Amino acid sequence: MTMIRVTAYENPKSIEEATTFLAKDTYVPIAGGTDVILELRNGMPVKLLDINNLKLNHVTSNKDNIEIGAACTHTQLASNPIVSQFVPLVGIAAGKVGSKQIRNRGTIGGNIVNASPCADTIPALLIYDAELVLLSKKGRRIARLDEFITSPYATIKRNDELLHSIICKKNNKTGYSYLKLGRRQAVNISRMTISVALDIDDDNAVIDACISAGSVFPVPSRMKDLEKFLRGEKIKPKLFKEAGKLAVDLMIKHSGYRWSTPYKEPVLAGLIERALMQASKGIVQDN
Amino acid sequence: METILNTNVEIKVGFKLNGLLYEKSIPANWTLLQLLRDGLGYYGTKCGCEIGECGACTVLLNGQAINSCLVLAPQIEGAEIWTIEGVADSINSLHPVQRIFIEYDAVHCGFCTPGMIMSTIALLLENSSPDENTIKTALAGNLCRCTGYVQIIEAVKKLSGIITEKDLEKFRYSE
Ligand SMILES: Cc1cc2nc3c(=O)[nH]c(=O)nc-3n(C[C@H](O)[C@H](O)[C@H](O)COP(=O)(O)OP(=O)(O)OC[C@H]3O[C@@H](n4cnc5c(N)ncnc54)[C@H](O)[C@@H]3O)c2cc1C
Ligand code: FES
Ligand code: FES
Repeated sequence: MTMIRVTAYENPKSIEEATTFLAKDTYVPIAGGTDVILELRNGMPVKLLDINNLKLNHVTSNKDNIEIGAACTHTQLASNPIVSQFVPLVGIAAGKVGSKQIRNRGTIGGNIVNASPCADTIPALLIYDAELVLLSKKGRRIARLDEFITSPYATIKRNDELLHSIICKKNNKTGYSYLKLGRRQAVNISRMTISVALDIDDDNAVIDACISAGSVFPVPSRMKDLEKFLRGEKIKPKLFKEAGKLAVDLMIKHSGYRWSTPYKEPVLAGLIERALMQASKGIVQDN
Repeated sequence: METILNTNVEIKVGFKLNGLLYEKSIPANWTLLQLLRDGLGYYGTKCGCEIGECGACTVLLNGQAINSCLVLAPQIEGAEIWTIEGVADSINSLHPVQRIFIEYDAVHCGFCTPGMIMSTIALLLENSSPDENTIKTALAGNLCRCTGYVQIIEAVKKLSGIITEKDLEKFRYSE
């Protein structure tokens, strides 16, 4: 077994105390630890800052927004009524992370800051134009989630900053779908996820479409060109087939042609088509 | 090199394990799994993968199933932990979950069993009559190389008819 090395462990009880530690020295924040403990096994000596006692596990709602505390666990979000009412894709995505044991420990903040290309909650959050509240001794700043991750496992968060919460815009749509494709139903790191929110009018035309993908692009992203293509179109099966093809073109344009592309091409096209079909019927999919 | 090797700090933690209070000074680089096995001699909790994939190390932490290989020992300050050693009230009276697992032949080599039983108890705490899908979701993080899972799922289904609040109450966590 590889040795974990911990040269300091702090367990602050307030945000003020936590940001003071972060300003003073290089600490690695630890929430659920499901990503960070695996990394620690490489033997790098670290100073740890436990963020579990900062009361960051709130979910609140106001007129336009939902605020989710960074330390909310996936289990908490998967069964939270405010989440399922206003940002349902986030709850579904959280419910599909790893296993029960991982969901009981893993937090949404850790999922975001770890910034894996296959982090399950990020594509769902992108549908709600999520913004991140970052705190430090220097003050508070807001970062857009779609600008937060710069490349796989890298973000614009400074070492002295704490992720406090995530702010999602309420956007009531007529239908949703979240599809996760992995090698095994449970403990799988996603091969691909698709999140869709559709707004369809009484004449069966698309008013608005929000679509995002995980493990398709280097970082989880919205597919704005695809959304534009769908807006104003009448719903018919051929439309969703074309959307699938367009998604593949976008993947190749942004990620290049890679060893996995021949596998991903038909899978992505199929998932997009299926997700749109489900969302057009108003289904919140839980496959 | 030597200096780096000896820099792990020790942290004082207080916690409750199988109903008993502990107060110990623990190396901050230990996982809960190491604390249980190497620190306290509770070898019932198994060490499989140490990366959160197999569930052999599953214990209850404040009433929830977690992988003890992915919790650092200092993080259990103030927590309530139950391991397989605390499940039966005495050596002569197995807990219903243990009895039914044996009755349904859900234990072959036994390596996954402590983890399976802790995940089953966590499930029953949430839902004392789970359907098959709920059972599969709750046990998806526990791998078994022997049974093919059928016996385990049948055992848990059987439990939903016979488990009582009295069988579960000691595991319940209240803040
Ligand atoms: C077996 C297994 C299966 C998994 N399956 C999935 C899966 O299906 N889908 C998925 O998306 N992920 C999966 N994961 C990855 C992981 O569980 C998630 O990313 C989880 O949400 C991480 O949260 P955490 O609280 O455990 O993070 P931690 O490990 O505590 O932290 C992760 C990173 O975020 C930083 N951090 C955490 N909180 C804050 C904060 N508030 N402010 C600043 N920095 C912070 C830490 O310093 C660290 O860099 C899996 C992991 C394992 C071990
Ligand atoms: S040893 Fe912890 S999950 Fe395998
Ligand atoms: S009984 Fe052998 S691993 Fe499950």
